[in-house]
Amino acid sequence: SGELYCSLLNPRNVRFESINMKNVLHWSAPEGTGNGVLYRVKYSVYGVGKWIRKPECRNINRTWCDLSSETSDYEEQYYASVKAFLNGMSSDWVETTRFNPLTDTKIDPPMVSVSSTDKSISIILTAPEKWKRNPKEESVSLLQVYPGLQYNVSVLNKKTKKRWFFSISNHTLVVPWLEPETAYCVSAQIHVTTPILDSGFSKEYCIATLKDKTK
Amino acid sequence: EEALPPAPQNISILSTNMKHILTWSPVIIQGETVRYSVEFQGEYERVYANESWIPISECSLITATLCNITEDISATVAYNLRVRADLGARRSEWGTLKGFFNRNTTSLTPPVMKVIADGYHLLVELEDMGPAFQFRVLYWKKGQERRMQQKVVKEVSSVVHLDTMEAGAEYCVKAQSYVEAINRSSSFSQTQCVRAQGDTSMWL
Amino acid sequence: TAGNKILHFGACRVSMSMAEIRAGFTAIKANIQARDSIRTLSILSYPHSLHKVNSSDRCCITHHLFNFYVDKVFKHCRTEDSYVNRKISSIANSFLSMKRKLGQCHEQNQCVCGQESTEKFKQILANYEELNVTSAAMKSLGELDILLDWME
Repeated sequence: SGELYCSLLNPRNVRFESINMKNVLHWSAPEGTGNGVLYRVKYSVYGVGKWIRKPECRNINRTWCDLSSETSDYEEQYYASVKAFLNGMSSDWVETTRFNPLTDTKIDPPMVSVSSTDKSISIILTAPEKWKRNPKEESVSLLQVYPGLQYNVSVLNKKTKKRWFFSISNHTLVVPWLEPETAYCVSAQIHVTTPILDSGFSKEYCIATLKDKTK
Repeated sequence: EEALPPAPQNISILSTNMKHILTWSPVIIQGETVRYSVEFQGEYERVYANESWIPISECSLITATLCNITEDISATVAYNLRVRADLGARRSEWGTLKGFFNRNTTSLTPPVMKVIADGYHLLVELEDMGPAFQFRVLYWKKGQERRMQQKVVKEVSSVVHLDTMEAGAEYCVKAQSYVEAINRSSSFSQTQCVRAQGDTSMWL
Repeated sequence: TAGNKILHFGACRVSMSMAEIRAGFTAIKANIQARDSIRTLSILSYPHSLHKVNSSDRCCITHHLFNFYVDKVFKHCRTEDSYVNRKISSIANSFLSMKRKLGQCHEQNQCVCGQESTEKFKQILANYEELNVTSAAMKSLGELDILLDWME
């Protein structure tokens, strides 16, 4: 474009941050620069190599750019790159490492819903969905992306303070023969063996068993 | 010209539960500190990479006479191991392990196990033996050995739930460790029995 | 956990310690991929992704690829970094162990090679021969996750 640019320090720590395959490019401003720095972003598919500019992230002053749409095919791998501009100066293009959406994403904990009777609790787990462009788009569960996905479930008896663990492959679990009128707290984690991916444990969902009907 | 230190002798491997330790006899030279370096060679290196050897940096120029080689023996193939003694600038010949070592010869011990009855629930706590291990847990109602049930436990983070028990009944449990990578199991642990809460009349 | 996988290729069933290979590769992935500056060529993915191979040819392609990595890749990936070399050795020896298991299936005719797998593997070799040996080997090693993702 004929613009003349002197050199500016490079953006730092350019990397993808991905959760449930929502793939966002993040970076830090060049050292010592305050406000006013603008950025441009481009990305490429590994093996194709042609750099493609991201128009929505041209001359932006924020330090992130959502590339989920451009990197949604998780059978491909990607690079992204950022360049900084300030007062007629510009930095080099700074690239990420090669990004593999399948192995480099983090997975949220499952959703947990709990119900109870007088002597049992029923737990239903729902794996998070893969990121999608818009709400109308068909949902893809991470269960479909990672067929070997399992759940680790922790059940805490609030009265005895004893915690039990269950490892299950399907998404429901009934724990029978519990004590009536007792509070139980449930938390669950997703566990994928290969590639090695574990979510954190969900927050605890507590519920009390009901009064004993026979009494 | 000063003599070279002798090559280390009695090189052997202690391998238990997929932890492999290389040991050798010390080279004794009065008033001197002898240091040792260890290298390994997998079947791949022997057959496809010109019989090359790979140094283990954690066991380079060490004074100890043992080296934990677990991290490097990470395939089920035949490995060669060798040790050399260094005395200042002088270096011994390599002492080589007699025969190959394959991790599928590791000795496997049964897991340390604690069986718990919590109300009507049968639970087990298993020792964490490392990422290579799973556990086959067998449990049965006392007197009904022929109706033995099995659970494969891969995560040993804490107290693992096995099953619910009939009120007042006694249940027995035993477990063995299993390593998928070498497709071998340990012997079974001692059997432990616990009793469920309540009295058996509840079930009549 | 152990993360062994029983891979089913029709009648051929092979137990593979995928988690160990994954762990070894993950430990050196950034180091190895940083040595590959060629973005316009992929050994395994272009022009046709492995994911487009039909299932009847999966066993043959896998068998070819294990031979390819054992015969042509690992030995040319020696680096100046002892830690990286140890991890490469770990992966190479695991591949050798699995290549042998797949070879048994191949000998028992449970791993039939169709035209598609033959064509696909020819393409992979052609991609490989476009570069000098060391660059091709390092790029192939850097694409190991593409192979593992596809196998799983």
